[in-house]
Amino acid sequence: MSSWLDYTINGLIVGNVYALVAVGLALIFGVSRLINFAQGSIYLVGAYIGWVAVVQLHTPLPLTIIVVAVAAALVGLVIERFGLRPLQNSVRIAPLLATIGISFVLDQLVMLTFSPNPRALPSQLPDVRFQIGGGTIGPLDLLIAGVGITSALLLFVFLRYSKLGWAVRATAQDRDAAMQMGVDVNRVNQAVFGIAAALGGVSGMLVGMYYNQIDTAMSLQATLKGVVAEVVGGAGNVPGAVIGSLLLGLVESYGVAVFGTSYRNLFAFLLLVVVLVLRPNGLFASARQAPPEPLTGTFIAPSRPVRIPRWALLVAAAAFAILPLFPVSFYVLQTLINAWLLGMLALSLTLVAGTIGQVSLGHAALLAIGAYTSALLSLGFAVPVGLSIIGGGLMSAALGTALISPSFRLRGHYVSIATLAIGEIVSLVILNWESVTRGPIGISGIPPLSLFGYDLISPNSIYWFSLVVMIVLALLQARLLGSHLGRSFRAIRDDDIAARAYGLSLNRYKSLAFIFGGFAAGVSGGIAAHLYSYINHETFNTQQSILALTVVILGGLGNVVGAIVGSVALVGLPELFRIAAEYRILIYGIVLLLLVRFRPQGLLGTM
Amino acid sequence: MSNIDRRTLVKGSLAAMMAGAAFSRSAFAQSSEPILLGVSGPLTGPNAQYGTQWKQGFDLALDEIQAAGGINGRKLAYQFEDSQSDPRQSVAIAQKFVSDPRIVMELGDFSSPASMAASPIYQRGGLVQFGFTNSHPDFTKGGDFMWSTSVSQADEQPLLAAYAVKRLGLKKLAILHLNTDWGRTSRDYFVKAAKEYGAEIAVTEGYIAEERDFRSTLVRVRDASPDGLILISYYSDGALIARQARQVGLKQTICAASSVYSPKFLELGGEAVEDVHLGTRYFPEDPRPEVKKFITGFKAKYNGQEPDAFNAYSYDAMHMAAAVVKIGGTDRRAVRDAFAKVKDVSSVIFGTATFDVESRRVKGAMNAELVVRKGQFALWDGKPT
Repeated sequence: MSSWLDYTINGLIVGNVYALVAVGLALIFGVSRLINFAQGSIYLVGAYIGWVAVVQLHTPLPLTIIVVAVAAALVGLVIERFGLRPLQNSVRIAPLLATIGISFVLDQLVMLTFSPNPRALPSQLPDVRFQIGGGTIGPLDLLIAGVGITSALLLFVFLRYSKLGWAVRATAQDRDAAMQMGVDVNRVNQAVFGIAAALGGVSGMLVGMYYNQIDTAMSLQATLKGVVAEVVGGAGNVPGAVIGSLLLGLVESYGVAVFGTSYRNLFAFLLLVVVLVLRPNGLFASARQAPPEPLTGTFIAPSRPVRIPRWALLVAAAAFAILPLFPVSFYVLQTLINAWLLGMLALSLTLVAGTIGQVSLGHAALLAIGAYTSALLSLGFAVPVGLSIIGGGLMSAALGTALISPSFRLRGHYVSIATLAIGEIVSLVILNWESVTRGPIGISGIPPLSLFGYDLISPNSIYWFSLVVMIVLALLQARLLGSHLGRSFRAIRDDDIAARAYGLSLNRYKSLAFIFGGFAAGVSGGIAAHLYSYINHETFNTQQSILALTVVILGGLGNVVGAIVGSVALVGLPELFRIAAEYRILIYGIVLLLLVRFRPQGLLGTM
Repeated sequence: MSNIDRRTLVKGSLAAMMAGAAFSRSAFAQSSEPILLGVSGPLTGPNAQYGTQWKQGFDLALDEIQAAGGINGRKLAYQFEDSQSDPRQSVAIAQKFVSDPRIVMELGDFSSPASMAASPIYQRGGLVQFGFTNSHPDFTKGGDFMWSTSVSQADEQPLLAAYAVKRLGLKKLAILHLNTDWGRTSRDYFVKAAKEYGAEIAVTEGYIAEERDFRSTLVRVRDASPDGLILISYYSDGALIARQARQVGLKQTICAASSVYSPKFLELGGEAVEDVHLGTRYFPEDPRPEVKKFITGFKAKYNGQEPDAFNAYSYDAMHMAAAVVKIGGTDRRAVRDAFAKVKDVSSVIFGTATFDVESRRVKGAMNAELVVRKGQFALWDGKPT
């Protein structure tokens, strides 16, 4: 029985660590209704500034904390002023994309300055241990708990009793009304970003000391766990974020206790999905709280799409179709094959996210389902490859829709978080369901693409095959959007209450969109599996999902041609920047930020 | 950037690519051009640290190769393309290398998904893919252009099991392993060998690479009451586990796979990694001349930094590539055939390396049994800890 005490204590200790990130995220969400994907990067920056202070400058701990807090707050202010403020009147989704771009840039800057090798960040506290149950805790555990709880309390008091705190809350409730009442909204935002960033930086440093290890990969993990904890506690609710973090830590710890280490994150994300489905506003949201998203669909603002004449599209399609007949290198063709495969995924996501307004952050899961289905069908049941890919598409459509259906009642950001969690769950199930998926060993020896008994192995034939499949899917989708179905989809996106009042069944239309989208993504995954010949649980990861969303927003939400243009751009740009070696992802991040800044509605506009 | 600029940039680089392909063919005839190897590996992204370590090993080996007169008078050079260990990018890089006639051989990639996704392209394109860190048992099954000097886990794990069970006398083991293709394969070989030597496996726990908190896992380990912990880990996660094991009061002997062999393991683990046992392929006071040359050369080139396992892999790989190209020349098929011909290439990892033509791998890695003493790796003196 004493083990359960240990599991409980361990859960609370790690929950404590999550709380530091979650509080910062909650604060920013509370004011600007924005999931700040750059929070993990500020955490990273804080850890490295802490390293400079401790190892190079030998500052004592209180001074280290102050240095890190001030420096991180400055980073936060710069992000707010130059990254987000210019976007405040544009589409609601633009700042989300901007924070993703900012996190690319910050992570890369840290990596270039400090090299990607992990470093030791020695703790400056005396190494005494206190015995609790079967384990021990140290002074850092207490300091982290102290910082987490104190900052949550201070923020709570600040928001409730100070004048600036009132202004923050007023801005959160209704930005325009607050402005009319004379609140300097920009100053409020600045204050919030400064505080959240200071907190993020200090937490990165403390967690680095806690593990005596900092490295550039810690940023994304911190964001993921922080987002889960924050949403479980109720997005925007600061004390809720602390309790959500502790709960997350406990669930993970008990998950390890009962099922073993490799199931740990599975429980974290299952907790998130369950909470979202049962209590979409989080466990600690009060009933009279205003709904977290506006009732009408201002999440995705309509814009005037760029109309491309039909002949131009035909010319472009023909030009790409005859490209392999010219002496272009196979490298260019392979890059375009990647673009066509990403294009199919983007078509799927632009339908789901853009046309019907369910912004998915877990779309790579659909690729994985399609890829594994097609690979296993062709290997285990000797299904011809062409048919197995269609099988992969169908499985992805069915399973993807079934998995996402519990979260159909969610809106806006909550859909993104639920899909993010579902994506992680699919990947972890693939890792653990060894009898079917072969677990971490992966599936090797997948047969190459073939059609009617002929193997497609030359780059030219693979190029034509994927181009044709993508064009067919694009034409089907364009046809769909032009029908009454497309109009219903857009009606649901723009105003789901009006749509419901008009007699549209939301769930049925959302299912239809996910079935069609799941098929396209599954086909893309299936083709990829036969192209690569080897896949495992890491082949289709979260970065793929984020890339797909970037493509869709870049091309213009719901825009079929935009999805394809965006795919070509985002596959092509990093390849063009190859000459810049280590700097290419940095340049890519900056280009992304500039695009969001100057064309938030996407290159071709929202349909 | 204005529209016009962007368009000219795209056009310009497309033209440059085509011109490059045409130009290089004529330039190839002149022997003043260096012989070029392609490297596909992570320089950015989550595995970036390993790509930078590769570079250090490559550059040191190239200095030595150049100083010894290069390849029949010509210099050897490499072109490093960043794949982020992403299969989508590694396949594009594969086509890039295959269609670039200057490239005579490819080295890498790092992770199995990225490497093995590119294998069909190298195989069909007839360019050797020399995967020097690819331990996945199916890697060389991709075709006769896939060769690997990665230490086979079928070789390494029985050595580690012998160290833990026979020499250290551990009878009831808890295994913590990275839940990747490498960690899983290693675990299976280790378990098989340890059981043959008469040990009992109390518990095995697989963790994902991003994991940092192992306290709850260690409670499971404690409840299984083993007398030894086996870490099939890299140095960063290995150091984390050792620290947390000591913090929660586990005092059992820890025995780790050779992949923790890095000065970073000592730096990150601090006092907690004291008395950790590990099997390695070489060690600082190793009397072998090739190891002395490698370590002194490395320290001289990189400001006194100690080399680690990944530095050694890439250093060996570059020397192997040089030996192969010396025999095979610049013809890609001849290069492949040369892999079967090279004999007894001096190697830090293997002592001397010769390929087994059947499996296209090298057998018989060197083995040394080390222990961490006073914050340094030292040869184990046979005393229990």
